[in-house]
Amino acid sequence: MEGFIATGLIGISLGSQYTLLALGFTLIFGILGVVNFAHGGFYVMGGYVAYYCSAVLGLPYVVALLIALAATFVLGWLFEVLILERVIDDHQATLMVTMGFYLVLATGILVIFGAESPEFSFPISGVWRVGDVYFPYANMVVLGACLAAIVFVFWLVYRTNVGRSLRAMAEDRTVASALGMPTKILFPFAFALATGLAGLTGALVTPILALAPHVGDPVLAFSFLTVILGGLGSVTGATIAAFIVGLIEAYAAVYLGGSKGALTLFVLVLVILVIRPQGLMGKEVRRA
Amino acid sequence: MISGLGRLFCGTLLASAALSASAFACELKIGSPAVLSGPAAQWGMALRGALEFVAKETVEEKRLVVNGETCTVSVVAIDSKYTAEGAASAMNSLAAEGIKVIVGAVGSPEVTGMKPIATRNRMVAMVNSFAKDAIGPQWPNVFHIGPGPSGWAGPIIDKGLELYKFDTVSIVAPNDQGGTDIAGVNAEIFKQKGVTPTEEYYQRGTTNFAPIVTRMLAAKPGAVDLASSPAGDAGIIVKQLRQAGFTGPIFRLGGPGTEEIGRVAGGYNVLQDFLWFEPIAMDDNTKALEEKHIALMGKPRPENADFFRWVYAARMMVKAAQAAQSVDDAQKIADAMRTLPVDDENIGAGHWIGQKFFGINQEMSYPFAIGVIQAGEQQPYVRAEAANEG
Repeated sequence: MEGFIATGLIGISLGSQYTLLALGFTLIFGILGVVNFAHGGFYVMGGYVAYYCSAVLGLPYVVALLIALAATFVLGWLFEVLILERVIDDHQATLMVTMGFYLVLATGILVIFGAESPEFSFPISGVWRVGDVYFPYANMVVLGACLAAIVFVFWLVYRTNVGRSLRAMAEDRTVASALGMPTKILFPFAFALATGLAGLTGALVTPILALAPHVGDPVLAFSFLTVILGGLGSVTGATIAAFIVGLIEAYAAVYLGGSKGALTLFVLVLVILVIRPQGLMGKEVRRA
Repeated sequence: MISGLGRLFCGTLLASAALSASAFACELKIGSPAVLSGPAAQWGMALRGALEFVAKETVEEKRLVVNGETCTVSVVAIDSKYTAEGAASAMNSLAAEGIKVIVGAVGSPEVTGMKPIATRNRMVAMVNSFAKDAIGPQWPNVFHIGPGPSGWAGPIIDKGLELYKFDTVSIVAPNDQGGTDIAGVNAEIFKQKGVTPTEEYYQRGTTNFAPIVTRMLAAKPGAVDLASSPAGDAGIIVKQLRQAGFTGPIFRLGGPGTEEIGRVAGGYNVLQDFLWFEPIAMDDNTKALEEKHIALMGKPRPENADFFRWVYAARMMVKAAQAAQSVDDAQKIADAMRTLPVDDENIGAGHWIGQKFFGINQEMSYPFAIGVIQAGEQQPYVRAEAANEG
């Protein structure tokens, strides 16, 4: 029983991290109609900015987190305005541009910081333990921060005028523009919010796992998987799917092993998609 | 018009002359499918660093003279991404450039992908890989830079049993050939030493090992072996093992990389009790090699100690080219290699082995060391003699 509870905690922890990543990914698709292959790059960049600020410059970790969030937000904004906006109506071009930008980001980090992992540890150590149930304090803090960020995104999207405008643009970009919504500000804002979330996740998660230039690859894969399962463009769907993926990953790996666990996860996702091709909360036809 | 044609003709002649001069210049081109990205990049950087060092050393000290002409050495390293297809693609590119001498790759998946291409294109190769079929009679011109765990896991386990009390071990590795071959060999050797092994495999690309660690610890192992898990992965596994309350010794019977494992885990105090295979026994001679690297290359050697093994391999390849009096005849170079004694001016002498394990006597064996961290403190390396089949 204790093992079952410990595994559940791991699954929830994984789910919260996947949610933060998937929210950004699905926001960009829902509002801009762009599949952002550079998402993993912003995650890595967030990690390296936080590492540089805290380990090299000696700034407090919380300040490093905020700088990582700001840096990835600003870079996302600039990328949307200067590059993505020019090809926004050409889906193939947006795929190529975001994929190319990911390669530029990852290679740039490789050139600047090298291929080896630097020492980047979470400032809080120690483990909460009751019997065989354990939960590292660092993971608790990350879980709390992820949940706070998720609540903020939901509040922003569903309880503010900015969120209403974003959802209106996701529904029908042309009509929203005709009604006077400032698309030239809201599009870059949505993109920057998503990349900022990815950067924040990177800054939070890489110190408890590992930081290296390539760690964005699996992030992209899991974000994509989660968003497809939740339904492309659905914020609620992405959140539910992220926790499902996290819990299945944890329980399958613990009770079936690493190889069979991964297989189980992908088979289950496949079955769900066969039953509901539009994903858990997705619409059958995307109108925006 | 005639004058214009004349100038064109003269220009063509001059260009042809220049081209033929460069075509006949003596140059040993060493190709290398090296992993330069991903969690295993540290190994590939040690390989590339060693090749660049040996190339410069050979040129500066005029170590390669063919038919009275001093030869240059150049290195072409292509990222093989630690995959069979990446290494195959790199080897095809190297073959297209006419390169016949290969040093690398590092890992089993890469070596599996590259061997058929080396054989098809009549190349001579010096590879790593701890796979059960790293070399073999079907790839006659492929040599092995040193024994895998079959050669050195036994003495390291003996050292672990001398220091700690345990009778069960959980072995964790990636679920591809780069992991399963090594974990299988390690499990067999643990069994021979009276330790009951369980094997756990994970999908390459896993970033959070907490579920796998939970599964491993459910079996209550007395020790853990990280086998050939890349350093980045191994660091996370160690960190999460210690967080989960595991206090037993951790083995790394799969290659060097302890510095990076320590960095990712959060320091040697997190590693606590840790034993690993160190490719060479550090002494004054190997320290002299480190100093020579700084003098020649203007920077310290690559961090991963596999650097030394690749220096050994590359120097042997240069010696073989010298003995064969050829920089591009792979068959002659391979024949010459078989006649050379296994010896290096800094790392020491050893012998050719491999007949018993691989069916071909083309594996270099030389002294190695056992690395030990006890209670978070690194201990002096324990020197171990070269594995011998005789």
